[in-house]
Amino acid sequence: MWSKKAAAVAGGAIFLTLAGLIRLNYLFISAGLVMLTFVVISSFLDVWMPNVKIRRETTSDNIFEDGTMSVKFIIKNTGLGIGFVEIYDSLPPQARIIKGSNYTLLYMKPWQEVSFEYSLKLPLRGHYHLGPVKMRVKDAFDLFYNERLEESIHSFSVFPQVEVLEDQVITSRSPKLLSGAMPLNVIGTGTEFYSLREFVPGDSLRSVNWKALAKKGKMMVNETVREDVMDVILLVDAREVSAVGGGKDTPLEMSCRAAATYAKQLLDERNNVALMVYGDSINRVDLDRGEHHLFKILTALSSAKPQGNLKLELVMKDLLPHIPSGSPIILFSSLDDDHTISEAFTSTISRGFTITTISPSSLDFEERMKRIPVEPLLIAKIERDNMISELRSFGLQVGDWKYGDNVNTALQEI
Amino acid sequence: MEEDQTETKASRLPSMGKIINYKDFFGEYPIIFAIKIISSLSLIYVISEFYVYHNPMDSLLTKYLGNSLKGFDPKPDVFVPWGFTAGFLFYFFTIFKGKYKLFVFLLIIGTVGHYIAEPAINVERGEYIIPENVEIESGEANATQWKWKPIKLVYDDVGETYDRIDDISVRLTNAIFGSMPFLGAYGIWKRKGWAIGASIGLAIIIGFLYTPNLCLENFDEGYCGYDTKQDEKSWSEYLSSGIFIGLGFVIYIELSYAAIKYENYAEQFKPAGLDISLLTNAQRKSVSKTLRTLFVSYLVNLAVILFITFIIAEAVININNYVSTSDGQIQDSIELQGPYGIVFTSLIFFLLLGIIRMFIGPDNQMEET
Repeated sequence: MWSKKAAAVAGGAIFLTLAGLIRLNYLFISAGLVMLTFVVISSFLDVWMPNVKIRRETTSDNIFEDGTMSVKFIIKNTGLGIGFVEIYDSLPPQARIIKGSNYTLLYMKPWQEVSFEYSLKLPLRGHYHLGPVKMRVKDAFDLFYNERLEESIHSFSVFPQVEVLEDQVITSRSPKLLSGAMPLNVIGTGTEFYSLREFVPGDSLRSVNWKALAKKGKMMVNETVREDVMDVILLVDAREVSAVGGGKDTPLEMSCRAAATYAKQLLDERNNVALMVYGDSINRVDLDRGEHHLFKILTALSSAKPQGNLKLELVMKDLLPHIPSGSPIILFSSLDDDHTISEAFTSTISRGFTITTISPSSLDFEERMKRIPVEPLLIAKIERDNMISELRSFGLQVGDWKYGDNVNTALQEI
Repeated sequence: MEEDQTETKASRLPSMGKIINYKDFFGEYPIIFAIKIISSLSLIYVISEFYVYHNPMDSLLTKYLGNSLKGFDPKPDVFVPWGFTAGFLFYFFTIFKGKYKLFVFLLIIGTVGHYIAEPAINVERGEYIIPENVEIESGEANATQWKWKPIKLVYDDVGETYDRIDDISVRLTNAIFGSMPFLGAYGIWKRKGWAIGASIGLAIIIGFLYTPNLCLENFDEGYCGYDTKQDEKSWSEYLSSGIFIGLGFVIYIELSYAAIKYENYAEQFKPAGLDISLLTNAQRKSVSKTLRTLFVSYLVNLAVILFITFIIAEAVININNYVSTSDGQIQDSIELQGPYGIVFTSLIFFLLLGIIRMFIGPDNQMEET
């Protein structure tokens, strides 16, 4: 293919030649012909296309949001081709290169192996891939080039950012066979203090509260909160409306970060965690525990896309029969554009489930982007406050998660 | 407590980096600096060679300016190096920073103003020292009094000032011919492709306005610098010199373009919006090594292609010479011995090369995205 430079030089050369003919200027004619010869000869320099093997070595297959991935790009010429080659490793549009370059220009020799490195940062969760590789073979003077797309793809996932939770607010009412780290609000074996009671024969002397004995003059023993494993259901709202805002500042992105944080914390405490993401359908990761299960949950969260408009009541109807009774449900939703919220919560509570809601405020994003005039925004905020107050009046725990706050702050409101 | 109060005094002298962007001049890698120097030399060579065959005295500009401007005498050995120097100094001026740039600008204006005005405003002091203790004639003997004498400015040498103004005018008109090296030098050092393109464009225009022996038709021999009409060179002589000028232009275009290309390439390795100093020594060495490898390969390619170009251009001309002088119907039917014949033969040759090129090389495989 001709480059702009080739067109300019050839055009100039033809112009010189013709101008030389018009003015009968031999110098112009010969200079024009020399330039034209130069262009024609150079066109024979890009006639090869290298056979290459490409591989990439990365520091990790998956990273968390705002994490860094270092890539070593290795290309080997497996043929006898020789010449100038430009190599461009295609990156996702969201990626930012923080070190090195994903582009290189080299003079490739037969059987030569060349590598270059770069580091990139991805601010948004999702599934991405590096590649394909664009190769451009050209002559030394950038006059002609040939391009090829090398289908060398390296896929990886960017997981939602995980924060460290300061408080433990989720409790269950249904004890399990195996003891764990989750405090149930019932008396049992555990480490956290629950109450004092009088000593009865059979009680261990270790549980005697000696200070209380000195104060009251009779034997008192400490009772502790039973700690158990729980089945926790994380429910993430991924409807179309959850994409309000932009970039990392959308209810869905915040919900995913919060869900990842909860999942990590709960799984670290040896609980069973399930994840349900609803939008146009319900995507499930069934109850399980362990490191591997966290990976599944994070992968599912990375896949969450804002689409559809499934109502919460419908989701609950579909979901509740499959959830162990009494299991806590944590809902991550902006609670926007859903008139079935009250009914959904009522039916959930009536079946004996506890439901905690972490609600990122989409109005904050709209306010920040200045999309809504002041007065309608004020009204919308009042409506939202009223709705949250109404839900709290049912005995529900609702955390109003403001823009810029971390998950811990939202938890403190509950 | 004493130690806490000690302050490090900042030097009153500003650092070199705050006055001038010297890194822009030296470039971040020595190889790029070397490319710029080679490009500059090729520019001076090609323009000087160009004016050997395009005497500025035979230009259309000289025809019209020669009469109206006293002392108009464009000489390539003067305006080529000075044009280049002016272009380079203009680039040097642009790399001064902020207030220092203004200071240099005012200094230049002041110097030029002083140069022009200096002969004219020379003050004649006369025999008195001002103020002076002079004798009072009407008073007592030896009575003196301090008196102020009026300062008298004498316009000492107005003629010289006019001469200097004329001289500057002549130099400025020479700058029309010197604008090619001026723009070329500025383009190479400032990495401006448009300036390099403009210098080549000007060469074409100036060449277009050239007519052999035009000067003698309008001026006398003394002014033109040659007394008789130059012998008309044969077309083969013109052609062979044209080949060298053509090759010179190719070298100039390619090297100046390479300086820009490789500097842009080195830019890729800088952290976004930051300085090269953030690269580690190993990274810098790696980039430098890559640039060196690329440039050496580039120079080898350029040398080989120029050699082939020269051989083929000579061959085309000789083929034309052979065809036009050998017996046959072609010679009788077409005017092959003139410029049309050369162009005709060359185009047929390029057509054949084009047909061969069609059957060589891979098809374009880039998908449309």
